[in-house]
Amino acid sequence: MSWLRPRRLWHPAPLKRHYEVVIIGGGIHGLATAYYLARTHGIRDVAVLESHYIGFGGSGRNTAIVRANQRTAENVRLYDEGLKLWAVLTDELDFNLMFFNCGTLNLGHSEAAMNGIRMLASTHNLLEVKSEVLDPQQCAEVIPGLDISDRPAFPIHGGLYHPPGGIVRHDAVVWGLAKGASAHGVHIHQGCEVRGIDTRDGRVTGVRTSQGAIGCKRLGIMAGGYGSAVAAMLGIELPIHPLTIQAMVTHPLKPFLHHVFSSGAYHVYANQTLKGEIATGAHMDPQVNYTTDATAYYLKHQAEALGELMPALRGVRFMRIWSGLADMTPDMAPIMEGELGYEGLYLDAGWGYFGFKSGPVAGKYMAEYMSTGQRPDILRAFQLKRFLEGRYSGETASVMKYGHWD
Amino acid sequence: MTGYAGDTVASALYGAGVRIFGRSLKYHRPRGLYSMEGESANTFMSIDGVPNECAETTELRAGMAVAPQNVHGDPRSDRFGFLSAFDRLMPAGFYYHLFHRPQFLWPVFQSGLRRMAGTGVLDPLREYGGGVRSERYLNADVAVVGGGSAGMAAALAAGESGLRVCLFERRDRLGGHLAWRVRELEGEPLYRRAEALAAQVQAAENVKVFTSSPAIGVWGENLVTGFTVGTEDDPFRECHWECRARTVVIAAGCMDRPLVFNHNDRPGVMQVGTAWRLARSYGVRPGKSVAFSVADDLGLEAAIDLDDLGVRVRFIADARESGQQGAAVFEALCDRAIPLFPGCAVSRAVGRKRVRGCVLRSLKGGRSRRFRCDLLVANAGMQPRIGTLATANARFEYCTHTHGYQPTDLPPGVFVAGSMTGLRDPRSIEASGRVAGYGAAERCGGRPGNVARAGNRVMGEGQSGSPGRGSVSPSRASRAVEAARQEAKALPGPPPGCGVIHAPAIGRGAKAFVDLDEDGTYKNVKESIARGLDVPELAKRFAGFGLGPGQYRVAGQNLAMIMADLRGDPVEKARATTVRPPLAAPSIATLAGPGHDVHKRTPLHAEQAARGAVFRRAGPWQRARHFGDDPSCRDEILSVRTNVGVLDSSPLGKFRIHGPDALQALQRVYISDMSKARPGYCKYSAMCNDMGQLMDDGVVVIEGRNDYYFTTSSARAGATVEWFRFHTRHDGWDYNLVNLTDVLGSLNIAGPNARRVLERLTGDNVSNEAFPYLACRRITVGDGVEARCLRLGFVGELSFELHAPASCVPYLWDLVMEAGADFGIRPFGLEAQNCLRAEKGHVIIGTESEQRVTLTDIGMGWMWDREDTVSKKVGAPALRACVGQTGRLKLVGLRVEEGAKAPLDGTLVVDGDKIVGYVCTTRSSETLGWQYGLALVHKEHAFPGRRIHLCHEETPGERVTSTAFVMSPHFYDPRGQRLRR
Repeated sequence: MSWLRPRRLWHPAPLKRHYEVVIIGGGIHGLATAYYLARTHGIRDVAVLESHYIGFGGSGRNTAIVRANQRTAENVRLYDEGLKLWAVLTDELDFNLMFFNCGTLNLGHSEAAMNGIRMLASTHNLLEVKSEVLDPQQCAEVIPGLDISDRPAFPIHGGLYHPPGGIVRHDAVVWGLAKGASAHGVHIHQGCEVRGIDTRDGRVTGVRTSQGAIGCKRLGIMAGGYGSAVAAMLGIELPIHPLTIQAMVTHPLKPFLHHVFSSGAYHVYANQTLKGEIATGAHMDPQVNYTTDATAYYLKHQAEALGELMPALRGVRFMRIWSGLADMTPDMAPIMEGELGYEGLYLDAGWGYFGFKSGPVAGKYMAEYMSTGQRPDILRAFQLKRFLEGRYSGETASVMKYGHWD
Repeated sequence: MTGYAGDTVASALYGAGVRIFGRSLKYHRPRGLYSMEGESANTFMSIDGVPNECAETTELRAGMAVAPQNVHGDPRSDRFGFLSAFDRLMPAGFYYHLFHRPQFLWPVFQSGLRRMAGTGVLDPLREYGGGVRSERYLNADVAVVGGGSAGMAAALAAGESGLRVCLFERRDRLGGHLAWRVRELEGEPLYRRAEALAAQVQAAENVKVFTSSPAIGVWGENLVTGFTVGTEDDPFRECHWECRARTVVIAAGCMDRPLVFNHNDRPGVMQVGTAWRLARSYGVRPGKSVAFSVADDLGLEAAIDLDDLGVRVRFIADARESGQQGAAVFEALCDRAIPLFPGCAVSRAVGRKRVRGCVLRSLKGGRSRRFRCDLLVANAGMQPRIGTLATANARFEYCTHTHGYQPTDLPPGVFVAGSMTGLRDPRSIEASGRVAGYGAAERCGGRPGNVARAGNRVMGEGQSGSPGRGSVSPSRASRAVEAARQEAKALPGPPPGCGVIHAPAIGRGAKAFVDLDEDGTYKNVKESIARGLDVPELAKRFAGFGLGPGQYRVAGQNLAMIMADLRGDPVEKARATTVRPPLAAPSIATLAGPGHDVHKRTPLHAEQAARGAVFRRAGPWQRARHFGDDPSCRDEILSVRTNVGVLDSSPLGKFRIHGPDALQALQRVYISDMSKARPGYCKYSAMCNDMGQLMDDGVVVIEGRNDYYFTTSSARAGATVEWFRFHTRHDGWDYNLVNLTDVLGSLNIAGPNARRVLERLTGDNVSNEAFPYLACRRITVGDGVEARCLRLGFVGELSFELHAPASCVPYLWDLVMEAGADFGIRPFGLEAQNCLRAEKGHVIIGTESEQRVTLTDIGMGWMWDREDTVSKKVGAPALRACVGQTGRLKLVGLRVEEGAKAPLDGTLVVDGDKIVGYVCTTRSSETLGWQYGLALVHKEHAFPGRRIHLCHEETPGERVTSTAFVMSPHFYDPRGQRLRR
């Protein structure tokens, strides 16, 4: 009957002047890292500093889609483990993260896209992650209402159905991790903005915050869209473009869309939340900015796209649009790094719009990295130096472009 | 059921006696008509099969099919109505603590939760027949949002200087809350004043009025968007508009701040304006016996007016102890024998399915008293509609005087007016509109006060001014503005608002709703705080306050005030949740408009269609994929290899660059030494990005001194100009770049007989000696059409590419077809070209290249001028960094061994269970007699003769495997002899 006794999910704690580990960013990545540090590695002297309230950033602004249908083996392995963590965490945290294992359908709108999809499915199945190539008719059977005729500007040629994917209640993950971290002794400080990072003799010694200086031996920068700005406090320049990414929901409807669907050609992904709204997003404004402004242009774009893909949605109304930051790297793969020129400094950034689905698993391995000082094998593909060496991750088929000039 | 012209669905239903419109989301409680502007989802219904249509804002039309939502059985006796009794088992966020153990049962619970959630029912297979959509793109000096008296005054004031003004009003008529008020001011009923203003606004030539036009939001740079619901005279059902304005005046008015009391959601509890408008605007008697629990003078005025209309007012509870304006009110109450209880509020609604009475209490506590009534009009005063301003990025602070949020800083060019600033006196409201209108006009450089304004009571001096823009001196203009400001100042300012949030005995044994749409109660706020989710933004996410269709409107301000109260913070510290657009929910059809698929057709579209072309979208173009009904293109390929074919290559990027620094610019973006271009010949090269990845390839031709013509791939045609500009942005070079892609069409005659066809079209010498491989000449074709002729070989055969003005290309096509008829020339499309070039080992960017590979990795490193260190070639440093690296992908050719099932594009190259590459393009070639493939493979496997394993698995468990030998990717005519014949 615990649900009837409203107890604090996490406990207010005094702000100490020194912690073994300080983590900047009270989103999913920061909280997960703190949770695993305390739970798995026995490092309980941990503070999570959040400038607003926990889950203020991308953790509370995403469309909650989780999947493991990435393009390269390194990524699939990581996300696949992440996907399996939702059920584990629900149990461990004793908090229902509402994982809806509905499967995702990624539509292809050209022969080239279908070739890419064939490669994806082959990669996934080889790694024992289920995926299946569907023809247009099968797509319409999976998601009734998709327009598979040749009326749309980009007709549906087929799709990649990925049953292990689904959606998770994003806020619940933030609160659940906060609950778990707090239960293991982690201090969560909201409204505590980091304004500077102190170092001495090549070691991180602490942070300066809106609530005073806090010393630490190890520091994790897990500030989502603001990661590169925080790293810049130490003069570390990261190949990250913070871009706004928008999402919106429609009025709530009784369940009729039982899977996530997405389309690269239309820049759309959509799913029906547990509350019945169609949550949809995907567009990024190409200019680097931190505004988190929504745009009229995007509202219209999304309507055009959804109306073509699923004509029955044309009578449905949008209810709310919002925006968050996506920290885009040149190859759309993250940077998880502990060799940044300062001992004790760790960075987990550049997740772009994959930050939600990767949160717990990234936290798990960052905690291992931070506690042992040894880079876990699974993180080898996400080193910062790959950009200097010209060894991009193959996460997207096409060359990434940011800005108006290309 | 019947209604009257001008009725909404809701007013017609109410008039017909309907009181329960639907059931609530979580508890399935009966819900009635609470608001008139869609502030909650109470009256969301299915109309003509479309779910979630708001009955309050939908105009009644003949033959409508209207049905309630979220109802099991009849709305009056819903089968899930019992849920309301179990609310104790469903505290805020209960589902986060339930259903997850045992885990295997969660999917069952989840499916049940999903079914209970949501309101409207959408049939995904049902075609939406919502009528014609349109769109308008407006430009205005001043956009006014809100057509009440302040908005109208602002529009008129701004319009005086001849500026272009657009006025947007969500209701179907102008006038705001004056439209139904009969109170007299200076001898004139308020609605008459509204009519007079409306007449002036309608008559002003430079003021464009849009009614039934709610705003969606005010976005960056003063872009106002919204939509207009059409009348029967309009050619559209709804029209989306975007108004780019230099300034915006926001006069969005106020709405009721709900009074939170027990069972405040019962059908029969409504806003002041709802009861009033039912009676005055729609001629519907809202009830027989009504109780008022209000907190401002507007509420008193409404009560008196309703009483005059024959609705018996049982009592008025005024949450204010004092502060009622004017003795006239008390007199009027005395005259009508309406009891007034100051400092009191209703604490409970009585009645289960509709209001049958209420309990009244003093706010200081003490005894309660029960009254019978069938209508309960309740609010805690008015709150500003801050949404429009919030979307314009204004910041707000809680004002302890008006007890509403007031903007602390307005974005540039945004002005605020009217009752949303806390003003209540109609004269003050109008004057504030004038001040805002003048302010906006001044900012636009207009000169207010230079047009005669009939009927303006205060500013007499303006009337003598002669019309015409330049005729008024600046000093006089600012005098007019100053006078308006003085006038506004002299009028009554905002009266004190009422800070009361809720009635006494709140939540005791009953539910008191803070949010109607998500059934969010006062108790849920407490529970959120107890969980540690103690700021409004977190409580909103945890318990759903303001997440339903009403969004911020019903719950927003109250939630912040209640949380501050419960936490013991002063009320001015209450930080409300963010209001997000859209302010009025637009349908996807309306936003999408009439369709926007802009695609380009080549100059040869019709010619190709006539020959059976099957078109596919390629970037912005519709291009011929193949001709006839053979998607494998066997005959098209054979005709090029053995005879002659012709391809419409018009989408090819075509550019001219000229000027003293043209060569430097080319040296910068191309990876080769472009100074080695020879006159009369094509210089083939490629462009890389900063990472050394292949972005584009094409040829450059010298046209004259400092004058070059060059081609890019079709996909890059749109990006090339910006690419040059970006990569030379710091150099200040003098060159001009002209995009000729659409100006020139092109066609490619390819095959062993290509020259023989061309010879029939031109008198110029195109022999191998006079016109060798890679030559580029101007030739005259047919009746004097001059064309650039480039001898290239993408498809691996002798070929001539003709570039000519797009208007002449159809003529050239006809000539080629005629001349080639004797040989049996065939047009070929993109797929044939794809196979032909792949046999030749020529890459297509994005097919054989990706972000893991550089120019060198795909075997094109020979183009890179490694010696050049002065041009700062884009991509050269990255290429240098990658020299000698191991573990990279390389482009190789494959010869597939014959097996049961052939590999396909996208098939993986594997080494055991390790992925070591993939096949980019593979075809079974009739020319070669075997299946070839182009693949990107790890360097360790990328040497000729290596046997590699291929596999693809499109369906789990159905793995298709094959083997292949690595070889050079130049399968066909590796030495290029056929190109040079």
